[in-house]
Amino acid sequence: MVLLREKEQKVTLTMNEQPVMVFKDVIKVYPLPSGDVTALDDISFQVERGEFISVMGPSGSGKSTLLNLMGCLDTPTSGDIYISGTRTGDMSDMDLTNLRRDRIGFIFQYFNLFPLLNIIENVTFPMMLKSQKTVDPEKGKEVLRSVQLDDSLFTHTPTEISGGQQQRVSIARALINDPDILLCDEPTGNLDSKTGAGIMDLMSELNRKGTTIIMVTHDSHIAEYSQRTIRIADGRIVQ
Amino acid sequence: MIFWEIAKRNIRLHMLRSTLAMLGIVIGVVAIASMGILGNSLVATVSESLSSVGDSVTVSPYSGGGGGFGSGGGGTSTSVNLKLSDQNFQEIKRAVAPNVAIPVVSTSERMKVGVGTDDIVATIYGVDPQYIPDLKLVLTAGGYNNGNSGCLVGFTFAKDHNIKVGSRISIGSDGEKGTLRVTGIIEERGMSFDLSTDNAIVATQDWFDNTYNRNDYDQIIVKVKEGQDTADVKTLIEKTLNKRDKIVSVMDSKATLASIYSTFSMVTTFVTAIGGISMVVAGVSIFNIMMMSVSERIKEIGIMRSIGTQKKEVMSMFIYEAAIIGLIGSIVGGVLSIVAGYLISALMLGSTKYLITMANALSVGEGICFGILVCLACGIYPAWQAANLNPIDALRHE
Repeated sequence: MVLLREKEQKVTLTMNEQPVMVFKDVIKVYPLPSGDVTALDDISFQVERGEFISVMGPSGSGKSTLLNLMGCLDTPTSGDIYISGTRTGDMSDMDLTNLRRDRIGFIFQYFNLFPLLNIIENVTFPMMLKSQKTVDPEKGKEVLRSVQLDDSLFTHTPTEISGGQQQRVSIARALINDPDILLCDEPTGNLDSKTGAGIMDLMSELNRKGTTIIMVTHDSHIAEYSQRTIRIADGRIVQ
Repeated sequence: MIFWEIAKRNIRLHMLRSTLAMLGIVIGVVAIASMGILGNSLVATVSESLSSVGDSVTVSPYSGGGGGFGSGGGGTSTSVNLKLSDQNFQEIKRAVAPNVAIPVVSTSERMKVGVGTDDIVATIYGVDPQYIPDLKLVLTAGGYNNGNSGCLVGFTFAKDHNIKVGSRISIGSDGEKGTLRVTGIIEERGMSFDLSTDNAIVATQDWFDNTYNRNDYDQIIVKVKEGQDTADVKTLIEKTLNKRDKIVSVMDSKATLASIYSTFSMVTTFVTAIGGISMVVAGVSIFNIMMMSVSERIKEIGIMRSIGTQKKEVMSMFIYEAAIIGLIGSIVGGVLSIVAGYLISALMLGSTKYLITMANALSVGEGICFGILVCLACGIYPAWQAANLNPIDALRHE
């Protein structure tokens, strides 16, 4: 991670050279009846392609708000966010949704697979959103194999497999559309330490192969898998 | 499409709940369509009874306003015994030519069929035999009466009193008005604007005049030839006889038929609307179930939105769910409404011969379409609400 000291720096680099994500003077304020709450206060940083970053901080520090902004699920009160060179501030809900679908992969603490779909359907779901038609399940199987999930589980439903296996499916789903960034929210928070370590090994492997990963965690052991750590306190980057 | 598949699977997952919602739609469609079928069958039944007399214009003495028309001529009279004179008949005959004007006399009389039977009271019509073919009285047995002592009897009258061709009927309390021999039995005619023969006797006019000492008429029936309008004939008669004072009432059977059809149509609409209330109840049930479905799946919606599902795609998923419930419920309801229509027609009208008609097919089609539309309409708001959930709040939902 590189903190931006020159706030006026412009993002004009080509697709391969430009940072995957840029936060520039981002402020997020939640208006509440009891008074405005500033969740993020003048945050600036950028993420280069191929980095593995962890975001740490105590409860209420602004980690979730930062994750929501990085995932284009929320918009800043002021400041600019660029994803792969595209400024998100002026984008419509439809464009932001397409951006999430095409450029960002989400990995959640509680896996968040669709219980009505089997493993292959869960993994290929984002592909179907993108192509608007039935997709070839072969790519889904290929990605599932790359996250070391056994072929015999492909037609099972999420409730029929273990937590670790569900998280591998969740990672496969996040990877299926070849995103620029993987956003992970406590990816091992609901797993035992051994399974969690397996998941982190997998994510390290993905990063070695070039996948950019940003991981929110409160676990310093897990954060050790990343190359850099952003520490947040009271809505500001402290390190 | 994946959202159609998810909608199907969610319905299967909550089979009992979905089935109950479908049941509501089934009941709604059955109520609407079967009421429509009943109304259509009712109209068809009445039409069959009346359409054969849709070519008549009936002229009777004007009884309104306290005035009347005597038997002696064209002037007004205060007599309460309202009759039409021969002069009136001749005027009408000339006015409506080449259409046929038929003078008819009638009375209600005691009579006895066979020995030792009770007295019966029935209507006796007196009609000149030359006009019988014009009245289109079709016989099921026997032939038209040529002699003065012969008569035709109506189908129901003959059936109820076991009268056959050749039977004799004593007219009057003690047969003092003579005896009529049955020469023929008239086919059932149902409701009629001219002669209601089903429970009556049709004697010759000569016999009637001699027996009751009559030289006037109770009504004159004008049979309008094909290609001419009954309304024009009615106007013609009114212009001829009601020049200065209103002395006759003229009834146009076609206009009356139209009025009856209109009334039945309103009744059909009314009973169908009552059936529609059950559809509204079913709609509320669908709305409730869809709202439950949305509230149960808030987190799922959040996940979908976060990984790139558009609002319209989330909306489509819930619309599909409502559409599947509506489609299955409505089609099952449509099929059952045919069964219900059959049973209702059989029980209430005593006949199911009008079940397979275009009007009934339309009623079933309307019921099915209405069922599907109600489901879609009731699914729109929950679907819209699901699509517009804040993804962050939805993801946090437990």
